[in-house]
Amino acid sequence: MLLTSAIITGLGLGAMYGLLALGFHITYVVSNTVNFSQGSSMMLGAVLGYTFAVTLGWPMPFAVILALALCGVFGLAVERFLVRPFADRGSNAWLMATIAGGIVLDNVVLFTFGKEPRSFPSPLATDAINVMGVGAYPLQLIIPVVGIVAAAIFSFVLRNTKYGKAMLAVVQNAEAARLMGIDTRFVIAGAFALSTMLAGVAGLLIAPLFNVSAGMGLVFGIKAFAAAILGGITSAWGVVIAGLLYDLVEALTTAFLGSTYTQIVAFSMIIAALFFMPNGLLGSAGIKKV
Amino acid sequence: MTDKIDTATPSPLKNFGILVLDMRVAYLAIALATVGGAVIASSVEGYFNFVLAMVAMNILVGVGINILLGLSGQVSFGHIGFFAIGAYATGILMLNGVNFWLAFLIAGAVSGIVGFLLALPALRVSGPYLAMMTIAFAFIIEHGAVEWRTLTGGANGLMGFPSPELFGYTLSENDIALFAVLLAGVSLAFYQRLTHSTWGRAMRAVRDSEIAAQAIGLNPLVLKTVSFALSALLTGFAGAIFAPMNLFISPSSFPFFQSILFILAVVVGGAGTLWGPVIGALIVVLLPEFLSDFAEYRLLLFGSLLLGVLWAAPRGIVGTVAAWLSREDPTSAAPGEIDLKAVLGSDIQTEIPLEVDAIGISFGGIKAASNVSFIAHPGKVTSVIGPNGAGKTTVLNMIGGFYVPDTGEIRLGEVISGKPAYAIARAGIARTYQTTLLFEHMSVLENVMIAIRQGNLGVMLADRGDKAERAMAAKLLAFTGYTGPLARLAGNLPHVDKRLVEIARALATRPKVLLLDEPAAGLMREDKTKLATLLRDIAALGIAVILVEHDMSLVMGISDHIVVLDAGAPLTQGKPADIRDDPAVLRAYLGGTEYQGRPRADAWSGEHVAVLTAHKLEAGYGAAPVLEKVHIEVCPGEMVAVLGANGAGKSTMLRAMSGLHRPIDGSVLLNDAETSRFAAHQIAAAGMVLVPEGRQVFPDMTLRDNIRLGAWTRKGPVSDAEIDAIAERFPRIKDRMDSKAGVLSGGEQQMLAIARGLMAKPKILLLDEPSLGLAPSMIAELYDVLADLRDDGVTVLIVDQMANLALTVADRGYVLESGRVAHAGPADELKNDPAIERAYLGHTD
Amino acid sequence: MTKKTPFTLTRRHVLATATAAALAAMTGIAPAHAADTIKIGLIASLSGPSAKSGEAITRGLTVAIDEINAAGGLLGKQVELLRRDDENNPGKGLVAARELVQREKVAVLFGGLQTPVSLAIVPFMNQSKAVFMGPWAAGTPITQNGAKENYIFRVSAFDSMVGVALVDRAVAVHGAKKPGMMLINNPWGESNEKSLLAALKVKGMENAGIEKIEQSDIDVVPQLTRLKSNGADAIFMVANVGPSAQVMKSLERMNWNVPVVSHWGPAGGRFSELGGPRAKDVEMIQTFTFSGNPSPKAAEMMAKLKKHFPEIKGEADVTPAVGIANAYDGMHLAALAIKNAGSIDGPAVRKGFYDIKSYDGLIKTYEMPFSPEKHDALGPEDLVFTQFIDGKIIPVK
Repeated sequence: MLLTSAIITGLGLGAMYGLLALGFHITYVVSNTVNFSQGSSMMLGAVLGYTFAVTLGWPMPFAVILALALCGVFGLAVERFLVRPFADRGSNAWLMATIAGGIVLDNVVLFTFGKEPRSFPSPLATDAINVMGVGAYPLQLIIPVVGIVAAAIFSFVLRNTKYGKAMLAVVQNAEAARLMGIDTRFVIAGAFALSTMLAGVAGLLIAPLFNVSAGMGLVFGIKAFAAAILGGITSAWGVVIAGLLYDLVEALTTAFLGSTYTQIVAFSMIIAALFFMPNGLLGSAGIKKV
Repeated sequence: MTDKIDTATPSPLKNFGILVLDMRVAYLAIALATVGGAVIASSVEGYFNFVLAMVAMNILVGVGINILLGLSGQVSFGHIGFFAIGAYATGILMLNGVNFWLAFLIAGAVSGIVGFLLALPALRVSGPYLAMMTIAFAFIIEHGAVEWRTLTGGANGLMGFPSPELFGYTLSENDIALFAVLLAGVSLAFYQRLTHSTWGRAMRAVRDSEIAAQAIGLNPLVLKTVSFALSALLTGFAGAIFAPMNLFISPSSFPFFQSILFILAVVVGGAGTLWGPVIGALIVVLLPEFLSDFAEYRLLLFGSLLLGVLWAAPRGIVGTVAAWLSREDPTSAAPGEIDLKAVLGSDIQTEIPLEVDAIGISFGGIKAASNVSFIAHPGKVTSVIGPNGAGKTTVLNMIGGFYVPDTGEIRLGEVISGKPAYAIARAGIARTYQTTLLFEHMSVLENVMIAIRQGNLGVMLADRGDKAERAMAAKLLAFTGYTGPLARLAGNLPHVDKRLVEIARALATRPKVLLLDEPAAGLMREDKTKLATLLRDIAALGIAVILVEHDMSLVMGISDHIVVLDAGAPLTQGKPADIRDDPAVLRAYLGGTEYQGRPRADAWSGEHVAVLTAHKLEAGYGAAPVLEKVHIEVCPGEMVAVLGANGAGKSTMLRAMSGLHRPIDGSVLLNDAETSRFAAHQIAAAGMVLVPEGRQVFPDMTLRDNIRLGAWTRKGPVSDAEIDAIAERFPRIKDRMDSKAGVLSGGEQQMLAIARGLMAKPKILLLDEPSLGLAPSMIAELYDVLADLRDDGVTVLIVDQMANLALTVADRGYVLESGRVAHAGPADELKNDPAIERAYLGHTD
Repeated sequence: MTKKTPFTLTRRHVLATATAAALAAMTGIAPAHAADTIKIGLIASLSGPSAKSGEAITRGLTVAIDEINAAGGLLGKQVELLRRDDENNPGKGLVAARELVQREKVAVLFGGLQTPVSLAIVPFMNQSKAVFMGPWAAGTPITQNGAKENYIFRVSAFDSMVGVALVDRAVAVHGAKKPGMMLINNPWGESNEKSLLAALKVKGMENAGIEKIEQSDIDVVPQLTRLKSNGADAIFMVANVGPSAQVMKSLERMNWNVPVVSHWGPAGGRFSELGGPRAKDVEMIQTFTFSGNPSPKAAEMMAKLKKHFPEIKGEADVTPAVGIANAYDGMHLAALAIKNAGSIDGPAVRKGFYDIKSYDGLIKTYEMPFSPEKHDALGPEDLVFTQFIDGKIIPVK
C-alpha cells in the first residue's frame, strides 16, 4: 500500500512537472532560450481559471479555454519583451529578464487576485475512488493521462501538421527553415505561447488538488526545471519521463525513508545525474566547431 | 555555450604611466569610500548601523558574484548556500567557544573549499545545466541545515552568539558594522587588483573566448574553478559577519530567493565593473528603506527595476555611466625597426620540425580527414590548400588540439596529439582562427600581454605583468603593423586590425609553430601584400608557419611547401611551382571529371527582361567589404553560373540575395521589386529560393515532409501527387520518400534540397555549391538533373566550384575576383578563357 | 609616455562622489519627528497565506488602542500603531524589528505571527532592552529564551502547554494509544515535536511516527500512509492553513477516519474552503471564540468590531478570533505596564508588566499575569477545543 500510494502520488505530480518541463524543452530547442517564469505561467493559468470559473461563475470549459488563451498571450509577451531583445544581440540577459518578469507577474497577481490562497473546487477532486486499496481523486489519475496525452498530441502535431512541421524544421535547421519562407520569429513566439499554455494546463490541473495563490508557481517551476535538466532539455520524451521520475523519487523517498530526506535526496540526485550524464538522461550535445 | 551575460569592461588599459595613475585613483576612491563608510559606522547608531552593515555585506557578496559573473562569465543561483555556510560555520564555532576572528577565517575557508568542490562537477556543464546545479546546491544546503539538527539547531536555528572581542575589548554593533565596511573596502581593492593582474586577465580571456584562451595556454577549468572558489570565499566571509550581526540564524534566514537578489544587485549595478556591486548593494538595501511605507511592493519594484535596467542599460548603471564618461587613451605602439628576435628571446630557436603522421578523424561516420601526413620545418612556410570541404581547418584543429585525431599522431619532438589544447599551446603551437577569436572585451594590449605568459600566471594578485611585458606586447603589435590605440577594446577593431592583433597574440606565446587559418580572408589587396611580407618575416624568425589560405596568389607567393587536400584525403604535396602545374590539383579545383555536362541544344533565346537584378550590391563582415559593386542579371529561363576562387565572395553574394546576410548596400530587384530590406523568409515567399551550401535538409524528417516544407509559402494544400511528380525528376530519391533525410548520402541530400526548392515554384532558384563534396558519379547525375531543369525553363543562378562543369550547362557566366565581377560573358567563351584558371590558382603574371 | 593628465572628471571621481553622497544620504533616514505620540509596533504577515491572521491582530490592536486613546491616551500622549510586513520571513521580520525599535523607538513591539519570525527577533529585543509582546506565535522558547533579562512577554498559547492539551484530548476523548504526528517543516513544527514528545513521555505513550509537511506539498498521502501502517490511532497536526488543508484532503482521499487533534494553524485562513469536506472534523485548540461565548465582553467586542470595520458582518468575518482577542488583551496589558512604568523606557516597562495586579480582559480576568519567572499570561485552563464549521470557529460540543 505504501508503494501504491507513493506511485499514485508520484505519477500524478510527476506528470504535472512533465508538462512544465515540456514547456522548458520547447522554447529551448527552437531558440536556445528558457522561460524562467514558467512557474509563474502555471500560476497564471490557475489564477485566471479560478477568476473566470469561480469568481465570475462562467462555464468551466469557457473559463479553461480563455485562461489558456491568456496564458498563451503571456507567452508571446515573454518572448517579445523578455527574450527577443536580448537573444537578438547574442546576450544571455534573457535569463535574468524572464526571472524578473516572473517576479513582476507574481506580485501583480498578489495585489490584484489577493493575498489569500483560495480553493478551486472541482467535481474531479471531491470524491475519492479506490485504486488497488488506495484512495485517490479521479483528477490524480487524470493528470498523468493528460500529461502523456499532451505530450503525445504535441508530438503528433509536430509531425503531422503544417505548423508543427514548420516548428520541427526550425528546430532541426533554423537557417534552412527561413529559406523555406518560414518566419522563425513567428515560430519562436509560437513556441513560447505553447510553452506557457502547457504551464497553464498544469496550473489548472493542480489547482483543485492544491490551492490557488500568487506564490504557488515558484517551487513547481524550480522542480520542473530540475526535471527538464535531469531528462536532458533537448529531448521531449526525456523531460516528460524525468518529470515522472523526479516526483516518483520524491514520493518513494517520502514513503520509505521519511519526508525528512525528500528534498535532499531529490536535489542530490540532480547533481549526481549531471555529474555522470552532463547532458541529462536523453539529451544530446552539439558538435563543437571553430 | 558560455554564459554571455552582458558585462561591462574594466576601464580600457591606458599606457603604463597613465595606468598607474588611473589605478591609484581607483584605490584612492576605494579608500575614501571606505573611510566615509567607517565614519558613518562610528557616528550613527542602532538601526543605521545595521543598514550600513547590510550594505557592506551585500557589497562583499556582490564582489564575490562579480568575480564569477563579471570576470569569468559564469552564473550561480546558489550563492545563498555559501552565505549560509559562512554564517553557520561562524555561529557554530562561536557557540563552541571559538574566538570570532578565528571562526571568521575558518568560515570563509570552509565556504571557499565547498565552492571549489561544487565547481568540480558544476563546471563540467554550462548554461541552464550549470544554473540547475547551483540551484540544487542552494536547496541542499537549506534542507541540510534544517535536518542536521545537532549541528545547526534545525529549523529553530542558532542564537545567543557571544559578542566578538578584540584584545579584551567587546565589539559593539557599531564596531561590527565598521568591520563589515572595512571588509567591503578590502574586497573592492582585491577585485581591482585581481582584475588587472595576470589571473584576472586570464579569467576575462576565458570569459570572452574559452577556445582562444586554451590556444594561448590557459586552462579554462582551473581558472573557472578558482574564480568559483574565490567567489564562494568572499560570500562565505559576508555570511560570517551576518551571524554575529543578526544575532540569530536559521535556515529561513537564507531563502533561495536571496540568491536571485544577489545577482540582481550586481547586474543592476553593472557586472564586471568595480563599483557595480556597490551601487547594486546600495539600491537593494537602501531603496526599501526610503520606501518603507510601500514595503509590500518591494519585490514588484525590484523586478521592474531589473527589467528597466536590462532594457535601457544592459551593462548596468555603472557600466553605462562608465561607457559614457570614459575616454580612450589614443597612445599607439611606437612604429619603427624592431629586432623581433630579441623581443621574443632565443627560446623560439629550434631545429625540431612539426611532424603530422597519418592523422585522421571522423564525425558521425563521415571522414572529415584521413591519412594526412606532412612535415613543417622551422623557418619555412607550409601551406595546406584544397577546395571547400577538403578538411583543411579540421587538420589545423587536430594540430592545435581542438580535436583529438582518431588515428595517427602529431609530434613536435615528442608526441603532442591527444593532449589538451592548452598543453599543446604550452608546447609551442600557436594559432589564429578563420573568424578571428579575440578577447573582445579586453584591450588590444591586454590581448597580447596575457599570451606572453604561456599559461604561467604567477602568484595571484602579486603578479600584474611588468613593464617589460607591456613593452614586448607593444612591440609585437608594432611588428604586425597594428597602428591603432593600444587601449582600444579588441571587439571594436576593424577587421584587418583584428587579424593583426590575433597574429601578435599568437606570436606573444613565442611559438615554435604558428597555425594560420585563412588570415587573408576579408583583407584588401594592399593589406594582403603586407600580410605576405609579415608571414615571411615570421618564418624568418625560425618559426614553422602553417598556412591554410584560399588566396592562391598569396599561397603561391610565400609558401616553401604546399600540401593539397581533397575531400579529407591528401592529394599531393610539393613546391608551389609543381603544385600549380599539377593537373590533378587543377581537376580538384575546377572539376575535371571525365563527365561532361550536357549543354543546351539550342542557344537560349528568352526575353531580355531580367527576373533578378543585383545592382551595386555590397556586403561584408565588419569593416572589410566582401562584395563590391556587384552587378548581375538573370533573365527568365536562363541558367547563369557564378565562378571564382574560394573567398571571392560567391556564397556571400547568394546569401545577400536570399536575405540570410544582412545588412547589404545596393539593390536586389526581383521582377522590379526591391528586396534588399526583406528578411530571408519574405524573400523566399517572394519567389527567390536558395538551395544552400551543404544541402541543409531537415535530417529527422522524411523526404516527403522535407519536400512538402518547400511549399510552405504557397497557399492551399499540397497533394502527395505533386510531391511525387517533383520527386520523379530525381530517380535516386523517388523510392525513398518515407525514410528520414538524415540517412541519405550527400548526393541524395543535394537532390532532395533541390526538389525541396522547386516545390516553392520559385521565380528563380539559387544553387550554392551543389556539387561540393560529392562523388564523381553523383556529380554527373546531379548535372543531368540541372540540365533537365534548364531545358524545362527553370531560372537558375548557380555557384559551383566545378567551374568547367557549371559552364557547360549554363548559358552565361560571371567571374568574381575579390568581391568584384572581373569577367562576364557567354558560358562557352568563358570556358576557354585562361583568366578562369588564373582566378582559381593565382595570377602568374 | 608619461604625459601628465590634468585633474579631469573621470568616471571614478564621479562614482566615488556618488557613493559618498549615497552613504551620506543614509544618515538622512532619520526618525521623522519627535516623540509626540507613543508608538506601538506590529510585525506580522500582512501578505501571503497568513495575511488573515495579521489582519486579526491588527483589528484587536486597533480596537484596544482606540479605547485607550478615547480614555485620554497613555502618559498624556496619544497611542499610534505602526505596522510592518514580515512576509513570513525571519530575516525581514528582524530587519523590521530593528527599524521599529531603533528608528521609530516603539514602546512595545507586537508581533511575530510565526514562531521562526519571533525567534529571529527575540535575541535582538533582549539585547536592545526593548519590550516584545507576542499575541500569536506559540513556540515555547520565545518566552523561555534563557536571557538574564527577559523582555519577551506573551498573551497566547504556547507549545509546551498545547502539547499537553493535545495529548490529553487525544487520550481522554479519542482513547488514543499510539498517535502519529504531521508537523510543518519549520521551527514551529520542531518546537511542537519536542512538546508533544514530552507530553507523551509523561503519559508513558509511544508514537506512530513523526512526519514532515512542506509548505508546497500537494499530496501528503505517502506521509499519512506511513503513519497508518505504523498503527496510528490519532493524528496531531501542527501546520498553518495551507498544509493543514492538504492533510485533510489527503485523509479524505485515503478514506481514513482517524481523529485529528490540531494546533491552531487552520484558524489562520479559509480552512473550511481549502480543507474540503473533512475540514470540519479537525479539533483545533483556541484561546478564545466568539461563537458560543457567554461572556458579555465578547458580545461587546463583537459590536465594536462591527463598528470599526464595516466589512465585518458576522462571526464568519472575525476569524481567527484568537488573533483579535490575544492582541486586544495584550495591548491593554502593555498599556497598564507603561502606566506602571511612567515612561516608555524598556527596563521600566518590563518591570511595569510584573507590577500588573489585575486586569479584566476579553479572554479572562488576569490576576498577576506576569512575574520574572512567568512571561506567559495564559495557561492550560484558558484553552478551548473548537471546530471550523462553514467558515466559523465554534467550540466542540
